[in-house]
Amino acid sequence: MTERPPFKSAGLLKKLMSRYYAKGKAAREKGIPIAWVTAVFPVEVLYAAGIFPYYPENFGTLAAARKVAAKLSANAEARGYYFDLCGYARCGLGDAYAADHPAGVIGRPDLLFCCNTQCGSLPKWFETAGRFYNAPFFLLDSPMIETTPTTLGKEYFIDQLKEMIDFLEIRTGQPFDSDRLAEVMALSGEACRLWNEILDMAALRPAPLGFFDACFHMAPILTWRGTKEAVAYYKNLKEELELRLVRKIYAVPNERYKIYWDHSPVWPRLRWFADYFAAKGALVAASQYTHSWAWSFDTTRPLESLAENYTEAFVNRGFEKRVQMKIAFMKKYGMDGFVFFSNRSCKNNSFGLYDKRKAISSKTGLPGVVIEGDMSDLRFFAEEQVKARLDVLFEQLGQRGK
Amino acid sequence: MPVNGDVGRILQLIEKTLEDPIGYIRRQKSERRVKIVGWLLTDVPEELIHAAGALPFGITGGSESFSQADAHLQSWACSLARSCLELGLQGKLSFLDGLIIPHTCDTTRNLGGIWKHARPLPLMESYLIPRQVDRPSAKSYLTGELGRLKAKLEQCTRTGITVKRLHDSIALYNRNRTLIRKLFRRHVDDPETLNNRAVYNIIKSSMIMPKEDHNNLLRELDAALGIYKKAGTTKGYIKIALSGKVWEPREIMNMLDGIKAVVVADDLATGHRYINGDVRESGDPIEALAHRQITRMPFACYGSAQFERRRFLTDMVRESGAAGLVFIHLKFCEPENFDYPDMKSACQSTGIPTIKIETEMGNMSLGQIETRLQAFLEVLRGGADNDGTASL
Ligand code: SF4
Ligand code: SF4
Repeated sequence: MTERPPFKSAGLLKKLMSRYYAKGKAAREKGIPIAWVTAVFPVEVLYAAGIFPYYPENFGTLAAARKVAAKLSANAEARGYYFDLCGYARCGLGDAYAADHPAGVIGRPDLLFCCNTQCGSLPKWFETAGRFYNAPFFLLDSPMIETTPTTLGKEYFIDQLKEMIDFLEIRTGQPFDSDRLAEVMALSGEACRLWNEILDMAALRPAPLGFFDACFHMAPILTWRGTKEAVAYYKNLKEELELRLVRKIYAVPNERYKIYWDHSPVWPRLRWFADYFAAKGALVAASQYTHSWAWSFDTTRPLESLAENYTEAFVNRGFEKRVQMKIAFMKKYGMDGFVFFSNRSCKNNSFGLYDKRKAISSKTGLPGVVIEGDMSDLRFFAEEQVKARLDVLFEQLGQRGK
Repeated sequence: MPVNGDVGRILQLIEKTLEDPIGYIRRQKSERRVKIVGWLLTDVPEELIHAAGALPFGITGGSESFSQADAHLQSWACSLARSCLELGLQGKLSFLDGLIIPHTCDTTRNLGGIWKHARPLPLMESYLIPRQVDRPSAKSYLTGELGRLKAKLEQCTRTGITVKRLHDSIALYNRNRTLIRKLFRRHVDDPETLNNRAVYNIIKSSMIMPKEDHNNLLRELDAALGIYKKAGTTKGYIKIALSGKVWEPREIMNMLDGIKAVVVADDLATGHRYINGDVRESGDPIEALAHRQITRMPFACYGSAQFERRRFLTDMVRESGAAGLVFIHLKFCEPENFDYPDMKSACQSTGIPTIKIETEMGNMSLGQIETRLQAFLEVLRGGADNDGTASL
């Protein structure tokens, strides 16, 4: 298969990420508090309070992509942590106990902030880490939105944002800067807008990028969201993609099918999957996963706007709504079929997928399969079984005469 | 002390009820012509269901074999959730007028959607418990959430939950908890008469039987038990405490009885989590229910910095005089799996011997559990020999 020329932005990304770690180091030296935060967390508030955010989940993906998850996990398992915990948590806890650090050392927090919109594993992991590092833990609790968002849930979240601001003022000894919050939210919203415009290019036929590319380029939207750097990065990436369109450089040569993926990738096998799909002329075009950051803020009512964005994320919605959202995605990108990843690490994204597959196939007529595995731990990945499932999908696609 | 005839009869009746809770509740439904609202573990405010004129029915686990659940819920979900769903899928719960699922973890968070999709019931509601309890926002939110649930229940039974009705229900439930706690003390002092299986059966049956009947039965039992002399009855027994989600498989209690271990404290959802702490009987009853929830004993499904579970467990063991702690560890329960290592080391550093028994609902090898419990008891009986680490 013909190789695409590498993304120029890849070099930028590398630089940006080492700058992120350098910034963390400098913050530590200057005595700026370093806070653990979760991926779907109103980090805008922390920036406004002058705190440096660190993303342990990103450490998890790094460890997974470097194929050292099982090794790190073994340290946690030796302490009695069971292998059914989220792989990121096992890597994070494992690294804390480890003597050698094959994925670099996980950052030590002064404070821990968690929002449970994403899952119930993160609060447990952070609570445990808080005990390990002897650092205070603050939970932003976001009860699931069963059908439509309620005033009760929203007000609860706003109340907690206020509690968090009080907490930050006490911890930093500084009054909270609301102007700065509006500024950060604007930057964050701008990066999200660019990021989603980039992701939307996967709907073009043929497309210049797909989900696996997005997995690579999502690091700044996670770690730099709320800064000028993230905006600049995605402006640049967008230009590069536009240029690729002009030059007819596509993600997959001879793109025949577009496939929807749910949810996170199998990090240590990213390449294997990319090759498998490319060989079939299929582009894995999108996943809700990389769309996790699609905020659009109204800075004139900052707290309400933060509450709406961070609680109403797809991952916090009920069964029916999640089905509708997935279908909308499939329509928007013109998907021909879908793959649901039943990820042993991630219960909140995996439980319900069997029924969702059936419901979506019967509503849309699109073929779809569920594959079993783990996003980081290859002990739970049976290549032959996964391949057999995917083959079934492509047989069905073939029969549909496309 | 010989067990007197009435005591045996009542305990038998309870045991029989627990052998077929569904049969029992279905008979209640047809005899009383009452609506039945089921609930899953744990923390569902049954007082609200009762005040709406329905009969609450605790589903504490279900089918022993899994034939249908696997097609809807991954096999690496906890067996408690899977076994309850299996019951539903098999149609064994179709008599329910409603079902309330508390969100305690990601499994329960997703279970309702799956269940509703595969086998809907007339009323299916989540109970969205706040997962932080240390800050004021939790209580005002929870008061609102209870109000939401109240309205749903009122719609279901077409009965208004008045303050008076709710106060009455609360008083009834408080009496039940008080009666069970009294019987539990009796069990601790006199395990020959009221053994582990019997007293934990009492707690579990309270989740199934109408509280009015249960209270009468417990009063009768209390009277039949009569007075007793404290001294002498605990001779040869070793006191232990339990921690975990549920005491399943239930044979565990018989095993403990067999090796003369008397359970004196626990934090189980089908144990003291159910009977501890009453609801204030004056003032706004919804707020009173919220207050009980927020101040409940800590457990794995939400943390509290002010009421930390490690301290709670070590205090529980010390105050109850237990010689050791058994973690009854339900496989694949993620919240418990996160807590276990720190809870264990907290025990270790305070000199409390512990053992972890891994359990599942359904087909389990009981022999292995028994061997481990026996070995643990030997360590505890060894007294001075053990250094608190009982590495079993
Ligand atoms: S992978 Fe899933 S369980 Fe793990 S932190 Fe992310 S959302 Fe939570
Ligand atoms: S995982 Fe644990 S908390 Fe969740 S339903 Fe199962 S036993 Fe309950």
